[in-house]
Amino acid sequence: MLKVKNCHLKISEVPLITDLSLSVNNGKVLILMGPSGCGKSSLLNYLSGTLDSNFQAQGSIELNNIRIDALCTQDRNVGILYQTPLLFPHMTNLENLLFAINAKQQGLNRLERHNLAMSKLAELGLESKANDLPAALSGGQQARIALLRTLLSSPDYLLLDEPFSKLDPELRQSVRRFTLEQIQKANIPTLLVTHDEEDILAMGGDLIQLTNLNHNN
Amino acid sequence: MLKVSISNFFVKLDTLKLTSRLITLLLILPILLGLTGTLLPAFDFLPALSHYQFSLTPWHNLFDSPELWGSIKLTLLSGLLATFLSFIIAFSTISVFYESRWLISIRHFLAPILAIPHAAIAIGLVFILSPSGWIVRLLSPWLTQYERPPIWISVQDPYALSLVLALVVKETPYLLFVILASLDQIKTCELIKVGTSMGYTRLTVWRKIILPILYPLIRLPLLVILAFSLTVVDLALVIGPNTPSTFAVTLFHWFNDTDLNQRFSASAGAVLLMLFILFSALCWEMFYQAFIFFDRKRWSNGKRKTLLSPFFHGAAISYLMCMLLALLSLIVLPIWAFTHRWRFPEILPSSWSFKKLEQLSPLLLDLACVSLVIAFVSTILALIISIIMLEQKRSKASVNKWFDRFIYLPIILPQVGFLFGIQVFLIWSNNSGSLIAVISLHLLYVLPYVYLTLSGPYLAFNQEYFIQAVCLTKKPFHSFFHIKLAMLKPALFSAFALGIAVSFAQYLPTLTAGEGRINTLTTEAVALAASGERKKVGNMAMLQALFPLIIFMLAQWLPRVWTHYRLRLSRLLQSHLKV
Repeated sequence: MLKVKNCHLKISEVPLITDLSLSVNNGKVLILMGPSGCGKSSLLNYLSGTLDSNFQAQGSIELNNIRIDALCTQDRNVGILYQTPLLFPHMTNLENLLFAINAKQQGLNRLERHNLAMSKLAELGLESKANDLPAALSGGQQARIALLRTLLSSPDYLLLDEPFSKLDPELRQSVRRFTLEQIQKANIPTLLVTHDEEDILAMGGDLIQLTNLNHNN
Repeated sequence: MLKVSISNFFVKLDTLKLTSRLITLLLILPILLGLTGTLLPAFDFLPALSHYQFSLTPWHNLFDSPELWGSIKLTLLSGLLATFLSFIIAFSTISVFYESRWLISIRHFLAPILAIPHAAIAIGLVFILSPSGWIVRLLSPWLTQYERPPIWISVQDPYALSLVLALVVKETPYLLFVILASLDQIKTCELIKVGTSMGYTRLTVWRKIILPILYPLIRLPLLVILAFSLTVVDLALVIGPNTPSTFAVTLFHWFNDTDLNQRFSASAGAVLLMLFILFSALCWEMFYQAFIFFDRKRWSNGKRKTLLSPFFHGAAISYLMCMLLALLSLIVLPIWAFTHRWRFPEILPSSWSFKKLEQLSPLLLDLACVSLVIAFVSTILALIISIIMLEQKRSKASVNKWFDRFIYLPIILPQVGFLFGIQVFLIWSNNSGSLIAVISLHLLYVLPYVYLTLSGPYLAFNQEYFIQAVCLTKKPFHSFFHIKLAMLKPALFSAFALGIAVSFAQYLPTLTAGEGRINTLTTEAVALAASGERKKVGNMAMLQALFPLIIFMLAQWLPRVWTHYRLRLSRLLQSHLKV
């Protein structure tokens, strides 16, 4: 379970988020909505440990009752997905998946690691594209591989920053469904930032509506 | 309050800050030492030569020198004329050829010209323009009736016209490169569409709309060209006038005079040269502002056509002529290198031979190795420093303004004064004549170019890729090398190639720090240029141009095919393992 307690976010001493608390259970999705500039993405950056130095953060982040807010990104075991899939363009689709697998941690040898990545590609019916570069894939295929790549790194919690916004409307629904299935399968808490109200229905999670503090003032 | 930064991925923020401050200090220190080492002797203070009292004697001696004013007049005229012509030609070429197929060819030809050291181009131009050069040979005897080389002065002429030509041939491509990069920032295509849709001719759009927006972006590179043209030594030694020579060359001779007292006048002269750079930059800027002041009224006069159209086209054609000259300069170097007999007025040698190359090969190998070691070490150091400074700049933790302010100073300050100031320090610290000293001085000149080339793509890199990689692997260093640097390969390779080219071109820094004990292809080629041993000079200049050219071509080609070949290799290995 992911818990955020009494979170205060400021940018250059201007408050962005005040006293926000939330919790997400394993396998569930919590949706964050709000106008531009209300601090949704900054909150995700705070949760992933990638907040810029001109931000000030206060509060605590707990994962399964252990505080993680003092840890740097690489020690938090977090998975992030952005608007763009960010598949590494100089690596093949297979290499992109292999990059995420920690063989030592998962006790896999070279062949098992390779087979695991190939089995994920097979789930998407993309085994034939294993040795192609990501540029040859469609937007939907890239989005799916990006999600699988993130999950292959066995994250403890997942942060999704409008991951469906750049997809065509017809593709969006199937990618949403695929994402939800994968999250439930991985059984990890997930936070989704979105502008799209259809995401709420599709992902079926709780909703937190953030307001723009500066506008309200 | 908790402060978190991406810099935490690698090292503690404080360590990064500390490293960047140390680098800044290491950069500022030689610059300050160079300036102090020039300023103090200019006022008669140099303890090493037992001058402990400040006085104005060096200035009196300087102003009493008979060659001073002629030399300064020549310098100012040639420097300002070369910069003005380079600007006019580069701007006209872009405005005439923009969005045409010609521009693609022009772009392709830019990199090799930028890569070739100034001295090599100058030597090639001497081989072409001299009375016994290629142009006269091509026209003789059928047109000129010359059976022997004519007695005229077409290179090293007293008006420095051949020097201006050499500067234009070398600086116009650089300016073109800068303008092309700047045009990407100002939505040029859209501006042209808006202007032409209102009935303005393309050239009018360039003059009335694009030039005023473009100029602030290219002001600094233009001033760098102006400073370079006013202070260049190697190019002026090869192709510039002798009686008198340009001021930088005169100072160079004074600094190397066996009479050590000449150093005081030379230092005063170096300070005067710095003041002339400031004066010229001021004149240049005032001229531009005056032009804009008068031209502003014409911007909104509604006239759709410009009478300057033939002028624009003429300037653009002269760029093509310059590139033809550069190409011929490159071709003539290997021809002279492999010539056995080439009598006037034969267009090509009557017999060829590898004898000179064989004879020179031990020396050439030695010089090439030294040149390559200096270039590789200084460029790799420059790349590492640039990456550290850019990483710190990107993290926005504390922008190191001092570094950005000081980094361009070495390329703006006149080498001739500034470097001899550093030499005083090198002799004092017992480092003069060492390879480390030469590499350090090269680094001072390589770093600004590498930093400038790398900063755009490095700061524009989508950091989300790197964050993604760190989240996936939990290994920041692994992600930094395998994702960030791997994705920045084209920019890194370009910066590397430019660094190598800059290092190969250095003449005075090698001479100053090497004290004649460390010689490179450039120092030898320049020293031999006046000797008349064309075959020997041809060999030196050919290699001097060849290495940077090869590295530039590799830098353009490798990133494009890298992934393709890596994948082919891995597939080959996979199929091999399966078998």
